Amino acid sequence: MTETRPVAGRAVVDVSLGRTALALVAGWLVPGAGHAILGRVRRGALFFLLIMGSFGIGLAEEGRLALYSPREGFLTGLQLVANLGVGPADLFARMSVYGEAAYALPDPSDASHRPRIEKFRERQRSAVSAYGTAYLWSAGLMNLLLLMDVWDIAKRRKD
Amino acid sequence: MRGHFANLVVYSGIIATFFSVLTRRDRREQLRFGGLVWLSMVGGVLLLAYLMLPFPR
Repeated sequence: MTETRPVAGRAVVDVSLGRTALALVAGWLVPGAGHAILGRVRRGALFFLLIMGSFGIGLAEEGRLALYSPREGFLTGLQLVANLGVGPADLFARMSVYGEAAYALPDPSDASHRPRIEKFRERQRSAVSAYGTAYLWSAGLMNLLLLMDVWDIAKRRKD
Repeated sequence: MRGHFANLVVYSGIIATFFSVLTRRDRREQLRFGGLVWLSMVGGVLLLAYLMLPFPR
């Protein structure tokens, strides 16, 4: 249910739970879309450009697309969260880099282990890979921050 | 974009713009805050690099 009430001399519209959920999901799928759904279209468009720009530069600079490894579960888990924050764009990037939706290192006895680890190391050998990784992780983390911002806007904690 | 400095400038620009738009509403405030963040990042790295000059690898 949507309710309008005056706050500080102007009408502020309460956002329904369904619309909040839609904005959060859309914001994860397409960076900035959550803001657009809540009426902040220009801000959302700018966030989209910043996040996808950072993601694109990260890919072009051969940033690492993290693979979860049980041997370093905590760190690789955090790296994976940073990558996943950007939404389905990460999936498409993995399909393009690894040839499949790879999120973890396979068991060493698995035939796909060697090619995947080789691909991973090949990207790391690039002189600018560290920068690329920073761009990729920043893109994901910025989008996660945006989702919190969407929540705050929906709950009227923020304009 | 293969240069270290170019990466520093662009990365700082993206981060500064993002946080200025996220945390400030007024256009002038955004410019001031974003400029401060950008200068702090670029200036901080250059200062650190200068301080590390006597300690080559």
